[in-house]
Amino acid sequence: MRSRPLTAAGLLLLAPMLCGQNTAYQPDPAWHAPLEAAARPNPLAHRQAAMAGGRKLFQRNCVECHGEDGSGLVRKHAADLQLPIVQEQTDGALFWKITNGNPDRGMPSFSRLPEAERWQIILYLRSLKAGRAPVPN
Amino acid sequence: MPRAVPLLWLALAATALPAQESPYFVTYDHHLEEPGNLEISTFSTTGIPRSGQNLFFAPYGEFEYGLTARWTTELYLEGQATSGEGGLFTGVRFENRFRPLKREYPVNPVLYLEYEHTSEGSRILKEVVGNDGDVVDSNSLAGGVWNNELEAKLILSSNRHDWNLAGNFIAEKNFSAHEGVEFGYALGASRPLATMASGGDCVWCRENFVAGIELYGGLGTTYGFGLHDTSHYIAPVVSWQVGNSSTLSFSPAIGLTRQSTPLLLRLGYSYEVRDAARKIARWFGGRP
Repeated sequence: MRSRPLTAAGLLLLAPMLCGQNTAYQPDPAWHAPLEAAARPNPLAHRQAAMAGGRKLFQRNCVECHGEDGSGLVRKHAADLQLPIVQEQTDGALFWKITNGNPDRGMPSFSRLPEAERWQIILYLRSLKAGRAPVPN
Repeated sequence: MPRAVPLLWLALAATALPAQESPYFVTYDHHLEEPGNLEISTFSTTGIPRSGQNLFFAPYGEFEYGLTARWTTELYLEGQATSGEGGLFTGVRFENRFRPLKREYPVNPVLYLEYEHTSEGSRILKEVVGNDGDVVDSNSLAGGVWNNELEAKLILSSNRHDWNLAGNFIAEKNFSAHEGVEFGYALGASRPLATMASGGDCVWCRENFVAGIELYGGLGTTYGFGLHDTSHYIAPVVSWQVGNSSTLSFSPAIGLTRQSTPLLLRLGYSYEVRDAARKIARWFGGRP
């Protein structure tokens, strides 16, 4: 008798797990940072030493979907961060996107990271331009 | 099959990710599990009671999965052991958290719904509601009384200047007893000890620690709303991201009223597994 709620709870948990959740990635034309946010400069722009911390944070938080080199994992339908469409965005726009995420497309919010760490990630992200080797640790 | 369990555990552990955990034990903030990731945690609540009562140890396991970026689902299994009374399994909880808004706002709401099938012997104190208080019944009595409960929470949470401030309002209905709806609250504030990441890998760096404080307690029931005969706790909390794979957390909670257990010691260990659904499906012969 006691096992019935257990079984039901287990099935409820496992069913969606086994279905997965990602849909095919397509750039979201509606995902734009507000102008004010896009205009924010990176306060760490002149502290390139902070990029090493950005690399560590990228490894911890981003490679899962965007890959080691930021080119995006096809299986995860994640954006290629080397593309001009990403690299041409302002630091402020990228900060806004990291902060808010895009839940409809599977990009979570990283507002749990301190602000300075989000700016550090952007410093590192700039080193991922196509043709450039990622900054070593 | 039993042999497969430790192998599955090892396979999952091999791909563990940094947990980046909130330090709270009771309060929820608005951060949900990342989609596709499974967080496996073990927690324990040790109750140091007044003289004449028995010390208890209540461990519980948590499996938290990010269904989408706005929906996290969790399964809990819990038990307890009381000195001189032995141990017992005290039930399961199945919980869901939904984030209705897509963007970050100054205050971010999350809706929480949980089904509990737990015995009166439950001591994990994952939340405090109604007139919950000091342990009075022995395991032999309490362990045989099972309840089906539905619990809802309104979670409000805000990140400001690297601080997280969170508040939860709790309403719980026990469908197995005529005790009205029970209410409770939880408040939390926390902040990382450092707000910039250093370049190298380090274990003891300040950036790996988050510290804060929680305040939680009961607010009576629909038959008597308020603070009368309710228990309340204040609890410093700290979490430590150990290496790149897991998080340890600790919180001593001090009872503030006569109804409260004088001291609760909470300990937690979590790690996060990426792409868990795919790995589990593959394990059971699914398509990679």
